[in-house]
Formats: sequence, structure tokens, C-alpha cells
Amino acid sequence: MKKEKKQRSLSTRLSLWAVLFAGVIFLAAIGVFFNESRVAVQRAAIDNAMHQLDNTVLRVDNILEQVKVATDNTDWLITRHLDAPDSMFVYSRRILQNNPNLNGCSISFEPFFFKDRGLYFSAYSLNDDGEIKTTQEGNEHYQYFSMDWYQLPKLLGHPCWTEPFLDYNPEGFTSNDMIISYCKPINDRDGEFIGTISVDLSLEWLSQTISAVKPYPNSYTIMIGKGGTFFVHPDTTKLFYQTIFTQTMLEPDTAITALGHAMQAGEQGFRELELNGQNCYVLYKPLGDTGWSVGLVCTTQDIFSGYYRLINTMIGILVVGLLLMLMSFSSIFTKQLEPLEELAWQAETIASGRFDEDITESDRNDEIGKLTNSFRHMQQSLVQQMDELKQINEQKGRIEGELKIARDIQMAMLPKIFPPYPERTDIDVFGQLTPAKEVGGDLFDFYIRDEKLFFCIGDVSGKGIPASLYMVVTKALFRTVSSHEASPEKIIYALNEVLSQDNDSNMFVTFFAGVLDLPTGRLHYCNAGHDAPVLIGHTGAGMLPVDSNLPIGVMPGWKFSRQETLMDPDTTIFLYTDGLNEAENINHQQFEMTRVIEVARGLQQKEEFKPTVIVKQMMESVRKFVGEADQSDDLTMLALQYTKHQEDLTYQRSLTLTNDLKRVPRLNSFIDEVCEANGFDMATTMQINLAIEEAVVNVMNYAYPEGTKGDITIETKANKSEMSFIISDTGKPFDPTAKAEVDITLSAEDRSIGGLGIHLIRQIMDHINYERVDGHNILTLIKKLSK
Amino acid sequence: MEVKINTKDSITTAQLIGRLDTPASQEISGDFENLNQYAAGTVILDCTELEYISSSGLRLFLSLRKAAASKGGKVIVKSINKDIRSVFMMTGFLNLFEIQD
Repeated sequence: MKKEKKQRSLSTRLSLWAVLFAGVIFLAAIGVFFNESRVAVQRAAIDNAMHQLDNTVLRVDNILEQVKVATDNTDWLITRHLDAPDSMFVYSRRILQNNPNLNGCSISFEPFFFKDRGLYFSAYSLNDDGEIKTTQEGNEHYQYFSMDWYQLPKLLGHPCWTEPFLDYNPEGFTSNDMIISYCKPINDRDGEFIGTISVDLSLEWLSQTISAVKPYPNSYTIMIGKGGTFFVHPDTTKLFYQTIFTQTMLEPDTAITALGHAMQAGEQGFRELELNGQNCYVLYKPLGDTGWSVGLVCTTQDIFSGYYRLINTMIGILVVGLLLMLMSFSSIFTKQLEPLEELAWQAETIASGRFDEDITESDRNDEIGKLTNSFRHMQQSLVQQMDELKQINEQKGRIEGELKIARDIQMAMLPKIFPPYPERTDIDVFGQLTPAKEVGGDLFDFYIRDEKLFFCIGDVSGKGIPASLYMVVTKALFRTVSSHEASPEKIIYALNEVLSQDNDSNMFVTFFAGVLDLPTGRLHYCNAGHDAPVLIGHTGAGMLPVDSNLPIGVMPGWKFSRQETLMDPDTTIFLYTDGLNEAENINHQQFEMTRVIEVARGLQQKEEFKPTVIVKQMMESVRKFVGEADQSDDLTMLALQYTKHQEDLTYQRSLTLTNDLKRVPRLNSFIDEVCEANGFDMATTMQINLAIEEAVVNVMNYAYPEGTKGDITIETKANKSEMSFIISDTGKPFDPTAKAEVDITLSAEDRSIGGLGIHLIRQIMDHINYERVDGHNILTLIKKLSK
Repeated sequence: MEVKINTKDSITTAQLIGRLDTPASQEISGDFENLNQYAAGTVILDCTELEYISSSGLRLFLSLRKAAASKGGKVIVKSINKDIRSVFMMTGFLNLFEIQD
């Protein structure tokens, strides 16, 4: 829903922008057009009004002229018929008959002009709604001699118009209208003033007549006299009683005052001003020689009504047009953007995880078509990538699972029970391996066979699975080879022969193997390119001197050199892989041998030689040094402490025999004596006899080949806990312990005839140990003394 | 060391008297070669008076046992003492021979 709303607003917004743009252009064009045309319209309107005014003035002029002509004609008749006073009634009546527009007409004479008629003679006719009434008007109540219309021509000596007045004759005919009169002096042939002819116009009629001309619905005409009195005004109450200045007495209005003055001055023109709250144009023009002024009042609204109507129509068309434009644009945009909306919906669906949402290919060539097709392509790629990713993840998961198993297997192959020999007092061992990856290429191992501690440490080149495979093979081979070979250089030689054959992947192992003779503390060792171990003991801490040789797997047939040393009691040999001395901190600095030695010296000064302490202290130091950095390599440490202390001997005897089987009974009697002296029972004595006889006969048979002569010495020693029989000879090297064990579970047919002697020795004795020292075969057999 | 061989019907009895140590084994190896001739039948090794046996003695026993196995005979070891029984046990000989008290 949200998406749809956004979509709609985009098309609406586009439409609005387009319409707004078009609207602004139109408005600007219309604005310029109307601004220009307003001036023209105004000019035209004023011209039109002025024309109307001219017509009105002309019309009024006509009326006035008509009055004048009628008066002049009558005057001419009067002066020729002064002898017939009654004809004056006919003339005054005829004027009204000939000029229905006139209100009244009086022909009045000076007092006693007609002697027979007395003081007053005024022939007066009145148009009373079409009925013409005629009478003699003058009497004592209506002394017409004093009236303006009579006096003005008499005084001026020429015709003139009176100001408006209400003709009131209390005894004669009277009109209730305000009137103006054209009055002309009547002169006799000598030019003497004898009376006045006066023609009346109803001011109201004049006003109506003039006002009938309306150029605009709300326009009206005014006429003012010399004093500013309204002669003509649509509001008849103002006639005669008000002047143009009346209103300005209450509220001063300079514009109206100026207008009044201009009109009084007989000027012609127009003024724009406010009348009764409306903007008006007042056009004005003097009326002939009367001194009056006619004004045409037009409201601005009227003048510009057409103009405003046009504006309104234009704006209406504009608004409707823009609305239509908006609607059609909106519709067009919405239609055009429809694929986008659909695309957005599909994108939403895809985003929600439904990657199989079908997007139809667009055949449009525009941006939307391109977008749709790009999106479609993206979706297809996405599906494909997801599939691949899924497969990879599955594979990864499987591989990770297998790696974990591999690690478990690898770890299970390493010695993990510490202390490994709790019953022994002569040796203590601790070791640990921390792989950098799931599986590692480091290895260590140790075990005791025939009172010899076999141990090794190795580091396969590389890391991960390839290294771990090689590690497993190396460790298995070490066990296999060392089970019948007690010389470390020979063990390594054998390993090298196997591992360097068909070594296509060019793997190699740096390896250190040692064989510690537990009864004597003599250590034989061989180094195959590994880092030199550290010795820590009472006398100090330092590196064990090693020949570097070559790593295992590099060159078949390489003769590895053997070295040896004597381990003092409590001394520990500390072995490690380069994961220790080459451990890196975040600044890529290495831990280095100097720090290893430093830690070793620190421990040495504290007289602390215990394997667990050494390994843990070393671990702590290297962790502290490495800090936040990742472990870059497998880290393996192995520490072995020789703890044998020679006990005081309680018994010692020896016998030397020649290598003659006939000497065996002598051996038997010697053993019998020794056993008896040490309190062994008969059964044990027999078994010891058997073991020693087998050992000695072996020497006679194998160390001294037939025909050679030599001695065999049997030395017996006893302390509180055990009895040792040390059988030594100077014959050729012969290690009975290297012989493979016989399988006593085989059937008679399958069993080999040999190997029984060494088997019996192992069965009977608690420990067996062979050493070749200084050209001597030394075989030590130990029987523990039962408490 | 003394060996008394006594054959009756298809049963050959060899009486072993004394200590059968390494020199004694060499001494009586001839007697055992003789005994091999009877390996098709039943050979009884009477150990009533055998005091001691070394691996070379055991080898003689085993050779005889192998000959019997190949010829279809059998070897009975009779009356071994406690010490020799323990040696038999250590070497797995108790399973190879029929032991009679």
C-alpha cells in the first residue's frame, strides 16, 4: 500500500509540476496582455463615454435651442401684435402646443402696459400633463414684476436662463416641479423694455431626458448650474437644493471639490474619483453659453466590466484547461509509470524472499523498459547466485562438520592425559597443542617402552588439512618405527625414507626425536631441521646444542646425525614449534627466542622446573605478547622433566661368563644365590632365572657370532624398591628389545618358533632397557621388590 | 637332563627328567627328532619330573607340536608343575597343547 501511495504521488507530482509550469507561463502571458489591454480598454471606455457626453450636451443644446427658437418666434409675433392683448394668450398657448416638452410659458408686461387691463398683464399657459391651461396670472398676490425670470432680462437687456426655482402662484395655475426658465426681454419698436417672455422647462423632465442616455448600466448624468447647483441628477431630491459641494461640507473631498471647480470654470475633461464608495470616472463638459456644465458619471466597474468579464472568462478557461491538463498528465504519467509500480511490487515480493517471482520482459525501449529488463536480469542472476551460495553453504557446512571431526580425531591422537605417568617417580611430562586453524600440522608424542621415554615434536610445512594429513602420517610412523627402534636418528631416517618417497606435494616436517634412557638419564636425540629445545635445570637455562640436519621429507637417503647428553636430575627439556618463537603481535613483531629464553631463565631462577608450570608460563607470556592479534600458526609445547634420584644400593654382585652355553648352569646357580639373598620365593627365583638365562643366551647367540669369543658380565644391584640385572657385553650391537613381539594367540601351525625368549623376559621382568654405550651392549632388566 | 622314550601301540611317552635349560635343550634335541617320527600318533610328554624349562626347551615342544599338526597326530603334555604352568601361560602354550594332570 505504501508503495502504491508513493507511486501515485510521483505521477501527481510530475503532473503538478507540468501544470504549474504551464500555469505560470499562461498567467504571465495573460498578465502582460491584460495590463496592456487595460490601458486601451480605459481609453476606449473614456472615448465612448466622452462621445456619449457630447451627445448628451448636444441633446441638451437642442432642447435649449428649441426653447430659444420658440421664444424668438413668439417674440417676433408679440412685437407685431401689441395692440391685441388677448392674442398673447394664444401665443403663450401655441408655444406649449408646438413644444410639448415645455412646461409653461408666460408673456408678461410692464405695469399698465395695456391700459385697459390694469396693473397686471401676464398671459400664462401651463402644460398640465398634456392639458394646456391658459390664464392671466398677475395679481396682487403674485407680483410677477419682482420675479427673477422677469427682472433678469429687464436688467440685463438680453435673454438669459434663470436658476431653478419653484414657480408658485397661490391663485393661479402652478406646477409642483422645479423649473428653469428662458426669459427674453420684449422691446417695443423704440427698443424700450415693455415686458418679458419666459419659457419654463421642468427640471425633472430635463433631468429625465438627459438621464435617459446611459452608456453604461450604472452610469448617470449630472448637470450643474453656475453656483454648482444640481440641475440634473438621478436623485431628484438633490435638484435645486444641493450643490456639487454640499457633500464636501460634511466630509472634505478634494477630488470632488476640484471637479466642482473645474466644472464651474467651464472646463472639459475627465477625472477619476470615488463617489459614494465607488470608483468612478466623471467626464464633464460645459453646456454652450449657459454657464452650466454637464457631467457623465461612469463607474470603473462598468467601464471595465467587459474587460473584467474577459479576464474572468480567460481565467476560467485557464483553470479548466489546467485542470484538464493535470488530469490528463496524471493519467498519462500513471499509465506510463504503471510498469514501475508493478516492478516495485515485484521487487517487494523478491525482497521478502520469494525469488521465483516472475518478471515479464518489457518490450519498451525507454528507460522504464530498460530498468524492467535490467531488474529481470538482476533477479535471474540473484536466483542463480542464491542457488550457488546455497550449494556452497551446504558444502561449507559439510566441510566444517568434517573439519571438526578431523580436529577431534587429530586431538585424540595426541597424548592428553596429564600427568601421564603418575606412578612413576623418574619422569614428568606435560604438552599441549593449540592449532591456528581447525586442524593443524603440529604434532608431539611420547611414550615409554623398555624404560626408555620416546618423544618427538614436529611441525609440518603449511597449515590446515594438507598439513594435518601429513601430521597424522608422521605421528603414526613415529610410533610404528620406534616400537622396534630405539635410536632416534634411525627412527628419523626411517620416517624420512617413507615420507620423502612420492612426496609430490613437497611437504616436509621439521622434527625432533629424543629417546631418554630412564634408568641412567642418558638422552639420545636427533634433530631434523627443528628449533633447538631449551634445557632448564639447576645449573641454568639454555638451548640444547643441535645439528640442524634436514627436515623430514626433503631428501631420501639423508643420514641424520645423532647427539646425546646426560640429563641431570630435575632438569626439564622444553620443546616447542615455531608457533611460539614466531608468534606475532599486531605490529608484526615476533616473540623470538630471546623472549623464550628470558621466560626460561625467569623460571630457572625460581627453581621452577615443573613441565606444567613451564608450559603454562610460556603460554601466558606469549598470549600477553600477542595481545589482540590472531594466532598465526599452530603452537605446540612439550616439556619433559627427568626426576630420577639414585637410591642407595642395598646389594651388589656380579658374574662374568665366557660366551659358552655350558656356562648357563653357573649362571643359574648365581641367580639362585642372588634371589635367595634378596628373599625371592622359589617360583619367582625360577622365573628370574629363566629371564636372565634367556637374555644371556641371546647375547651368546647373537652378539657373539659363532666362533668369536667374548665375555658377558651380569651385574646385579638392589635398592629398597627394585632389583636390577645389568647384562653387558662387548659383542656387536644387538638390541633384543627391538624385536617384534610374538603373537601368543596364534595356532601352532602359524606360530613362529623364535621370539619366545624376549617375550618371556618382558613377561617376567617389570622393566627392560637396552643401551649401546661405548661399544657395549647394555641390557638392564628390573624386577620390582614386593613390599 | 634325561629323556626316557617309551612306545606302546600308537602312543609314545617321553619322560622328561631334570632341568631343561638351554644347554640341556641342545643335549636332548636328538631325542626330540626321534619323537617327531611318532608325531603321526599320540605323543605324551610326561613332565612329572621336569623342574625347569627355558625358551629353547619350549621351542622343542613347539617343533614337535608343529610336526604332529602336519602329520595329524597329537601331543599331550602331562603333569606340569606350577612354575612350568606359569611359563606355559606366559607363552600361550596352554592353548597349543592338550594338558593332562
